[in-house]
Order: sequence, then C-alpha cells, then structure tokens
Amino acid sequence: MSAKAAKQKNLTKEEELLLQDFSRNVSTKSSALFYGNALIVSAIPIWLFWRIHQMDLYQSGILFVVGTVISTYLVSLAYKNVKFVLKHKVAQKREEAVAREVMKMISDDKKMNKKEKDERILWKKNEVADYEATTFSIFYNNAFYLVLLIVISFYILRNFNPNVNYVFSVGSAAGLLALFSTSTK
Amino acid sequence: MNCAGKTIFSFLMLVAPSVVFGDSCASPQVKPSIYTTTEASSSTDTVFIVQFSLTCKGGPSDLTLYADVNGKTVAVTRNDDNVKFPFQVSFSDENKNLPSGTYEVKFYDEDGFANLRKAQRSGESSSSVKSLFSIEVNHPGVWKGPFVSSELVATLVALLVFFSAYTARNSLQSS
Repeated sequence: MSAKAAKQKNLTKEEELLLQDFSRNVSTKSSALFYGNALIVSAIPIWLFWRIHQMDLYQSGILFVVGTVISTYLVSLAYKNVKFVLKHKVAQKREEAVAREVMKMISDDKKMNKKEKDERILWKKNEVADYEATTFSIFYNNAFYLVLLIVISFYILRNFNPNVNYVFSVGSAAGLLALFSTSTK
Repeated sequence: MNCAGKTIFSFLMLVAPSVVFGDSCASPQVKPSIYTTTEASSSTDTVFIVQFSLTCKGGPSDLTLYADVNGKTVAVTRNDDNVKFPFQVSFSDENKNLPSGTYEVKFYDEDGFANLRKAQRSGESSSSVKSLFSIEVNHPGVWKGPFVSSELVATLVALLVFFSAYTARNSLQSS
C-alpha cells in the first residue's frame, strides 16, 4: 500500500509532462504575460473616456482603477480559457512538424533510445503548443474586447453620461469576453 | 411784390424738398464686417452678423436704419462706443433655411422703411422701394461634420481585426 502511494507520488517525467499538457494551470511566465496584457488592454478605455468622452482623470480616478482591475481579472480569465481550448488543437496540428524537426536534431545522437526521443518530442510539442496558444489567445481576446468596447460605448450607450457609459461598457465588454471564452466551440 | 412772392415760392419749391429729406444720407460710404455660421455640429441655426460703419456726404451719419433680407425686416442697432463698426444687425434661421450663397441685405432709413411697409401692406413688390444701400453677405454654407464619423472607422477597423482573429481561430479548431 505504502509502496503504491510512493509510486503515485513519484511520477515519471513523461507523466508530469502529460499532466501539464492537460491541466488548466498556466506557468508563471505565461500567467505574467496574461495579467500584463490584460492590464494594458483594460487600461486602454481610460484614454477613450478621458480624451473622447471628456471624463476627468482625477475625479473619476477611483472608477477607472476599479474598472481596470475588474476588467483585468475577467480578461485574463478569458485568456486562460481560450488558451486551454486551443492548446490541444495546436498540439495536434503541430505534432508532425515538431516531431520531424526534433528527430532531425537528435538523429545523430545514437545513444538516445526510443523512449527518450519520444519524451523529447512530447516536451517540445508541449512547449510549442503552449507558446502558440498563449499568444494567439492574447491576440484573439484583445481584438474581441476592443470590438465589444467600441460598439457598446459608441453605439449602445452613446446617450448615457460618461460615468455610466464607462462602468457598463467596460463591465459588459469584459464580462461578455469571459462568458464567450467558456464556450468550447 | 408779386415778383418777390414768386421768387420766394420758387425758392421754397426748389429748396424745401432737400430740407425735408435732409435727414437722408447722400452717397453713403459703408465699411462692413460680416460673420456667418460655419459649422453645424454645435449649432442648429445659422446666424449672419453684419456690422458696419457709415459715413454720409453732407448729412448726419447717426441715422435710424432698418435692414431687409429675404423679406424679413429688422431694426439695426447702433452702439457709438464701438468706433470701428457702430451699426450692427443680425439674422438667424435654421441651417436648412439659409443655404450657402450670396444674400443681399438692404438698408433703409425711416422714410424708406415706411415706404417699404406701405408697399408690403398693399401687396406691391418691395423691389420698387429704393434702399439707401445694401451689403452683400457671402455665406459659404455650414460644415456638417466629416462624411464618415471617426467612431465608425474605429468600429470597422476593430471588426476587421476581430474577423481575422475569428477566422484564424476557426481554422485552428477545425481539425
């Protein structure tokens, strides 16, 4: 029993990679990338409402900070969800190319056995898929967020006062983004 | 005696009219300064402001004047503190009623204005009443803002970028 538990604890490298491949957790690096990007994108509406809708930067400071923080959280949530959905697809699509490239690189190494080679391929595939899914998720969600924001603030809420307009356009743009990101299709 | 009476009578006949209409301004010299509304994004009405200085040859230049544009008559205000342009008159109407073009603003003194009113009452053409002078107002028309609004351009660009992102995502997921 204890031996079995110990065995379960000591996962092989391959198993760890597989777990990482299917987990929703993101690495610290991509997490920082997500939050940084989400913050930038969430701060863009401040400029719009400050310069175009003539809101005072200091008077509405609290509103801007709260709106940006909430929006940052929701946008980074959307980044994570979209990345998770896309990662497997990207991995499937790039599998062959990655395998070919890795094999070419390690073909000279005669000492490496099949298992090690497979591990190398899996690791590389995971890295490529992670990177591509992360960057694409950021691009896709940024574009979607800005479309939602522009349409809501300029057309749907155009006759509301700027404070109401800011709260509802940023809130609903980020909310809808997070909502749409949960769909797997 | 009879001869003297005739002389006085004929003198009166010759001189009296010029005394009676001595109020009128002979060969007026007008220096106008004109403002017209140029843009419609912050205004619904077009305004013409005509201000001018008037010097009359051999007559007082502090006349009471009336202006007529397109059959609308308005009293001209005078402010002697404004040395450069003491007379001022303004008109306003909705933008669509005052399209671009040249408008002739006719000015009348009190007698001319009385004649004008008389002609208008009796349904005669007011063009038969001679105005003292007139000023041409050249109105270039109002600017109604850009043809394509900037938010529309922003929306279209954002939609275009999102469309490319969406198609890229679909092609990624299509396997």
